Amino acid sequence: MNNTRLVLIGLLIPAILMIPYSIFSFYTDFANKNPDPALVTVDFNGITFNAIEGKKTFEQYQCMGCHTIVGNGAYFGPDLTNAYERAGKSDAALSGLMLVGLPSKGMPPMKDRGMDPEDAARTAAFLKYANMLDTNGWPNSGSWERNGSIDGIQEKRLYPSEIWQVILGIIFFNVIIFGVILAYERRKQEGRL
Amino acid sequence: MNEYPSRAKTRKYFLAAVLLFVLQLILGIFLSIEFMFRGEYLFSIPFDIYKSLHLNVMVLWLLLGFIGGLYYLLPPEVGRDIKYPRLIDFQFWFLMIAGIGIIISELFFTGRNWWLVEGREYLEAGRAWDILLTLGLLTVVFNVGMTIRERKKEMSSPILVLAMGAVGSILMYVPGEIWFNSLVAAEYFRWWVVHYWVEATFELIAAGAIALILLSITDVRREIIEKYLAIEVALILLTGIIGQGHHYYWIGTPQFWLFLGGLFSALEPVPLFLMVWSAYKDLKENSKPIPNNIALYMIIAASLGNLFGAGVWGFIHTLPQINFFTHGTQITASHAHFATPGTYLFLVLGMAYIAVPELSGMMNFHQFRAKTGLWLLVIGFLNMITALVIAGVVQVYLQRLQGVSFMEVQNILLPFYGWRTIAGLITLAGALLITYDFIILYHKRKLEE
Repeated sequence: MNNTRLVLIGLLIPAILMIPYSIFSFYTDFANKNPDPALVTVDFNGITFNAIEGKKTFEQYQCMGCHTIVGNGAYFGPDLTNAYERAGKSDAALSGLMLVGLPSKGMPPMKDRGMDPEDAARTAAFLKYANMLDTNGWPNSGSWERNGSIDGIQEKRLYPSEIWQVILGIIFFNVIIFGVILAYERRKQEGRL
Repeated sequence: MNEYPSRAKTRKYFLAAVLLFVLQLILGIFLSIEFMFRGEYLFSIPFDIYKSLHLNVMVLWLLLGFIGGLYYLLPPEVGRDIKYPRLIDFQFWFLMIAGIGIIISELFFTGRNWWLVEGREYLEAGRAWDILLTLGLLTVVFNVGMTIRERKKEMSSPILVLAMGAVGSILMYVPGEIWFNSLVAAEYFRWWVVHYWVEATFELIAAGAIALILLSITDVRREIIEKYLAIEVALILLTGIIGQGHHYYWIGTPQFWLFLGGLFSALEPVPLFLMVWSAYKDLKENSKPIPNNIALYMIIAASLGNLFGAGVWGFIHTLPQINFFTHGTQITASHAHFATPGTYLFLVLGMAYIAVPELSGMMNFHQFRAKTGLWLLVIGFLNMITALVIAGVVQVYLQRLQGVSFMEVQNILLPFYGWRTIAGLITLAGALLITYDFIILYHKRKLEE
């Protein structure tokens, strides 16, 4: 096959497929039931802040520089996806924590970085929104009980729809083994070993 | 060499790239120290600023290295000089000034101004810098496009792949700059920048550059190298574009990404293996002596780093069942510290070791320093990766499976962070040796002139 045609096929097929996948990800029944950030709000001193403003402050104060959100970011601090829940679903507690920080554990008081109570409330609204996202079950709370006992989940079977992973694993592993053997044999044939 | 005078201008790109890499390493060592002494700020700068600089400096030197490499390798392949040679200087100083601007914004304006610091991983540079950088980099696209349009001979496929990769990386910077209200959409398109860089366009640059360098230093037939390159590129794109799905498991996107991402990203190591395999075959067939041994070493390191760092280390945590537990742990950090330097650092160094000695007119330079530096880099990075992967396994077991609290796990991981710091120091020693070598190579020409 012509080299250019091969490359074009490699580029165009997945690129064209990405369009419906992207649309399905947001605009159809496939899409997860995520909340509308404009409707997730936090009240502070009689003013209402929504998660859209919160997303901007979250970016501005570089929370992702130490923490992760939906698992993406830095691994210096804990994940913030469920921070709202961990703070007892209280936005006052959450914004208070942000402003004072945890200096001994490495979190600077954000009020030293220019964060005022309004911005803290905005960021709390964003974290409230992040907590409501449908992230396909991530992060887990631990699949075993804390005391080491076996949890209550029943065993399941390997479904036919999951076997592709087994097949891929076998192919991947054996292609490498095969490559090594082939390289070895050819070298031996040429008397270089 | 005098045929293409603009090539001499690319020398400073490589030197700047290597110097910025040293800066990135120093920042990385600061970060690892802050990991061990929580609450202590080195030079009263907190973790997040070092972290964002660590990433942004990397993006900057990668761009410098790739643009320099493209400008260096393009003229002989199109049979003419770069169309606007003065743009090469302009773009270099533009990138330098933008880089200094980003560093100053990070240091003094984090949290003060969203337009100057945006704080999204890899895109920490504020919106103002993003737009400025994109506009500046589009002039590279323009310059390369005009040069290719007025070519004097038929383009070979490696340089086309390289140019496609460089232009694609610059264009892929754009999706990250669109504002979305929803975190899901913002993360969705942020990964277009990051993933399509490292798993599509940068891979194209790697494949193209490795092929070009092999063409220039060996006597293997062009058709063989080009045939392999076409298969590699087709497979990189076929797996990489939808392989994007492995970033869409847990960010609030539908479950069909678990299947798509798992399927395609599990296939991603195949083209990387092919890259190593084809380089191996080419070198075996080669009968021409290779005087510039160090460039060859760097290219071999890059293709092996790509296979093991991106391919194997990526594969071990790419399937959704595994990624459910490893997502957001030190396993990811280990993968990133293997794949990025393993591939792109050695690629940029390889291009630099071809370009700088030739442009300085010293083809018979002493290679002992560079080889020692390379081995120090390899040893340093392998230590770093091993420390991080053990830390990652411990973290996954304790935090994700046993439910031990975050802080408790971090305390347990401290020895591995110490190991990582020592590894960083070894790497720094190698990087300083290579920088010293480059400064000497760079300086020799100045004396002759």
